[in-house]
Amino acid sequence: MVEAVMTALGRPFARIPLERRKQLGLLLLTVFILIFPLIHDDDADIDSMANAAAYATLALGLNIVVGFAGLLDLGYAAFFAIGAYLYGILTAYQVLPTWSGFWTPLAAVGLVEKINQGGPDLVHFTLSFWIALPLAAVVAAFFGVLFGAPTLRLRGDYLAIVTLGFGEIVPIVARNVDSVTNGAAGLNGVQAPKLFGWSFGVSATPYYYVGVALVAFLIFVSIRLRDSRIGRAWMAIREDEIAASAMGVNLVRLKLLAFAIGAAFAGMTGVFYVAKLQTATPELFGFPVSTMILVMVVLGGMGSVWGVVLGAVILQLLQSWFLKGLSNWINDFGVMVGSDWLQQVDLVRSIELIFGIILVVMMLFRRDGLIPATRKTAALTFDAQHAEVRRGGFSGLESIGTHENETGNALEVKNVVVRFGGLTALNKVNIVVPAGGVVAVIGPNGSGKSTLFNVITGLTHADEGSILFHGAEILGLQPHQIAEAGVARTFQNIRLFPNLTVLENVLVGQHTRLSTSFAGAILRLPKAKAEESRARRWALDIIALFGNRLSPRIMQQVNGLSYANRRRVEIARALATRPKILLLDEPTAGMNPAETLELAEQIKSLHALGLTILIIEHKLDVVTKLADNVIVLDHGEKIAEGLPEVVRRDDAVLTAYLGRAAREAVNAA
Amino acid sequence: MTDTDFFVQQLINGVSLGAMYSLLALGFTLVYGILELINFSHFNIFMVGSFVALGVLQAMGVFGQATVMTGFPLIGVMVVAFAATMVFCGILGVVIYRFLLRPLRHVKGPAAMITTIGVSYILLNVILLTIGADNHNFPNPLPPITFAIGGAVLRLREILIWVIATLLMGGLTFFVGYTKLGKAMRATAQDPEAARMMGVEVDRVIMTAFFIGSALAGAGGLIFGLYYNDTSSNIGFNAGLRAFTAAVLGGIGNVPGAMLGGVIIGVIEAMGGGYLATEWTDVIIFSILVLVLVVRPAGLLGRLAPNKS
Amino acid sequence: MQPDFHNPDVLLSFNDVNTHYGDLHVLKDVNYTIGRGEIVSLLGGNACGKSTTMKTIMGIVRPTTGTVLLDGKPIERLSTSDRVRLGIAPVLEARRLFPRMTVYENLEMGAYTRPKGAEFEEDLERVYSLFPRVKERRAQLGGTLSGGEQQMVAIGRALMARPRLICMDEPSMGLSPLYVEQVFDIIQEINRQGTTIFMVEQNANMALSIAHRAYVLQTGVVVLSGTAAELRENPTIKEAYLGEMQVAEAAE
Repeated sequence: MVEAVMTALGRPFARIPLERRKQLGLLLLTVFILIFPLIHDDDADIDSMANAAAYATLALGLNIVVGFAGLLDLGYAAFFAIGAYLYGILTAYQVLPTWSGFWTPLAAVGLVEKINQGGPDLVHFTLSFWIALPLAAVVAAFFGVLFGAPTLRLRGDYLAIVTLGFGEIVPIVARNVDSVTNGAAGLNGVQAPKLFGWSFGVSATPYYYVGVALVAFLIFVSIRLRDSRIGRAWMAIREDEIAASAMGVNLVRLKLLAFAIGAAFAGMTGVFYVAKLQTATPELFGFPVSTMILVMVVLGGMGSVWGVVLGAVILQLLQSWFLKGLSNWINDFGVMVGSDWLQQVDLVRSIELIFGIILVVMMLFRRDGLIPATRKTAALTFDAQHAEVRRGGFSGLESIGTHENETGNALEVKNVVVRFGGLTALNKVNIVVPAGGVVAVIGPNGSGKSTLFNVITGLTHADEGSILFHGAEILGLQPHQIAEAGVARTFQNIRLFPNLTVLENVLVGQHTRLSTSFAGAILRLPKAKAEESRARRWALDIIALFGNRLSPRIMQQVNGLSYANRRRVEIARALATRPKILLLDEPTAGMNPAETLELAEQIKSLHALGLTILIIEHKLDVVTKLADNVIVLDHGEKIAEGLPEVVRRDDAVLTAYLGRAAREAVNAA
Repeated sequence: MTDTDFFVQQLINGVSLGAMYSLLALGFTLVYGILELINFSHFNIFMVGSFVALGVLQAMGVFGQATVMTGFPLIGVMVVAFAATMVFCGILGVVIYRFLLRPLRHVKGPAAMITTIGVSYILLNVILLTIGADNHNFPNPLPPITFAIGGAVLRLREILIWVIATLLMGGLTFFVGYTKLGKAMRATAQDPEAARMMGVEVDRVIMTAFFIGSALAGAGGLIFGLYYNDTSSNIGFNAGLRAFTAAVLGGIGNVPGAMLGGVIIGVIEAMGGGYLATEWTDVIIFSILVLVLVVRPAGLLGRLAPNKS
Repeated sequence: MQPDFHNPDVLLSFNDVNTHYGDLHVLKDVNYTIGRGEIVSLLGGNACGKSTTMKTIMGIVRPTTGTVLLDGKPIERLSTSDRVRLGIAPVLEARRLFPRMTVYENLEMGAYTRPKGAEFEEDLERVYSLFPRVKERRAQLGGTLSGGEQQMVAIGRALMARPRLICMDEPSMGLSPLYVEQVFDIIQEINRQGTTIFMVEQNANMALSIAHRAYVLQTGVVVLSGTAAELRENPTIKEAYLGEMQVAEAAE
């Protein structure tokens, strides 16, 4: 966006390199924002801009919940209300308990004051604006977790409805708990902020600067989070939460974190808005407000930090300036042509209609918003995508480190039974995978191979049995816990994070191996920076294993890659979890014979890292090349086990694949 | 009025409200059953329906409560009003689907639902800007005949509402259970790909669902007007949340469930309004919604569980 | 490339058909012919393109290149409902009856594209006489039947379209050996009564015991074809199933 403005400004700027241009543009924008009230002395306009700042912070907060984490919260205004009423109740003259000695120390600190309205002495809360901001953030975050928790297992549309429900209950409570909130009339006399004893008063300018500072701060926080391990985990959840979970992302914790941080932004905005307005009423909150914030996010671009700020500013300008101006113009035109109706047109009233139109038009024509969050790098042409087949397996494995050669059994599946309704998918299956070994699982369609993988990785619940991973029971654990223990997998149907780049996909794999918390991400202390750059290097090293197939495309969105390359990215992502065992589900599916051979040899070379490998594969050549031991499943049961050459000749196996001949079947029954 | 009488009165009110909510919930559940889409615009089609009905009745010369009719003219007026409103709303629903939702059929994520939020706002504001936000007195040609049940009062309009709602719901049940297109709708809701392989034109089935659902919403709007004697542009949201809760309570995608849920919610609302303050009724209804979705997502009779697969 | 003349004995043919799933090349220059009155089977192991063939015949998948001819006329651009009207009916993988509709209603859905009338009643009688169990259970909900019973209903549902060609997707999958036996007997009976059958099937032995001709598919390529007798004798069918590469290809 900034760059677009720059190029529009003409050629002298075009000679400056891109990065510099962006910085220069940002600098100019900042200067303009800072001097705006000084050069434009209209209090109403400055107030509008302060409102725009409030909108922007709300949009930024919703962007975290909806844009980053993909949780459609339609009751977001509730958190705005909570922050607003918190500050209102603790500064207005509504809640006035009777004075007692208890309050004296608090008065000394300036949190309360003693007043008298012609009766006994009363306590008037005088919470400082500056303390209220972080306090509201915390309180709102608490409610974010409270309202978000029941929605965790719901599908997207139902999550939206439940949040909508909560969002409606809050204003109703506000309207009805009269004693505290003064009901529908709202709280008046909300205290203006004070800075070193000087009160902000009624001029809009100080509020404007506070608003701008708040926006800048929250943009900073958003960007820091977005580019961190937390942001990546959120986006992984948004794209494919099952795959995210299998890569070690703790869904519950991260979703609640998104709700909490989003709510915190709204809570702070509530304090700011109500301090400026000096009144808090229930109409300020509710579905129409939540929808307006959603419109800003949709317009600007879901997930795009600058986009949603732009969306907020556009909507504010629309309401406060553009529509009014256009109405005036139409009215004047009406006077000119003598049309009564035209003279009466007031477009400002139609702002909600415009909201509706924006939502519909954006969804139909530009779902990514004005400033899309994902920078689309152009997909490479076929020639550029063509790569030479490399034989001999991975080279450069040393750079990704080795595991100590463990002994014993990496994996023991003992008598596992899985039932889906009336169907038994796995029936007392026993599998042993020795540490450092390569075991293949084969079998006809529907034999239970993928169910086996799902039950090992915790995606499917087992009805009986036990699964030991290096001696420890993993049956019953959550998928992310199992990933953390060192079990990584790929999926038969490829479950990448489609809108994320190759590099981002691989980095998500490292989620459990990194430890930067959300606070660490925001502060980005040296330790966090070092961890992030280590993670990046490691990811690039893994990607480089695939030669020039993936390295030139690290910044490309994976949904633009070829099928075979997507499979490779999935394997890279699994490797990034630093696993002790790698579960590969039909990794060569869709590859031509040459690519199949290449990948088979690459998998074999991973073996040199001390990695244990369990692979589902239906191409027996691959199995013969790779596996020490082959296990054959049919109808959920193990029917054969042994060396590839032996299994291949086993009658039971052939019958499983080719089917029983007609007459034999009846005799055997 | 004795306590029993009061209770009976609330029950009568509740069943009437329930009839209205059932019709709304049915329309909503029909579409959800096939498309798994929460259609926010449905409830403003209801609101538009009440204004269309108002217009139609006025066009036939019925104004306020002053014009009273009986016998055949009354039946004729009612039939025309219902037919016109239902056809208009049905077409409105189909147009919304055809041009605004069908292009998004294969887009994953909340895009379609967000679009319905947008359409809902557009409908609301078109009415707001043209007709205004005030309450409008709704024409009622019914003679003020009442019946006494103990100390409670049963008005003719309530009987009419029950009769019409029963007829419509009966008609829908017959359609879905016994006609070719109705069975095609059920089949499509259960397995769209298999239905397609039987030769069902899935798109046509979807448009039928939208037509019928929106027509029922329109009928609901007319009933609203008859019951409350007025209407305004903001009736959609409230009635909508109640009807939505009714659909979820009964089991989303389930036709008898929507009817059952509607009556239950209607009675709860009447009882709530009678024994508690009306504001708290909202909280109760929302709480039911949240509770059902979190504790028993499939509802009372339903099968489509809104959980992650 | 279209044949210059249409062999009247050929009911359905695939001519150099290629299909894609995104950029994944699924069917590669595939050619089949299904003769009138034949049972033709499509065999192959996992992920070879069998299901895609079914979907291409029914119209769920459109070929990227190549043509599908019914009675010599191209149908690859026609909608699914048009193809059903022209006489192609499916028996879907894992049956896929409408679970909350009765057996009778499921059969009715099979005849969706046809008007109700004398012919409908005739076909219903025919299905009931072929499957007495289905008649017994006609008021039961589809989802409550056992796998084998569902398969009977599924075949009956296809017959209700009075098709010229029935396409079956893995009729033996998930059935006990006894039911498999029965199902294949019925398939033969239907064929004897005049319906052409195209059967995608993993159970090669069973399929070859009733088919006239068969094709073997491996990763989207037809690697073997011939009469059932020929294929029963051919040992390389095992390699195709077990996914062993054709030696020539691997050397590229």
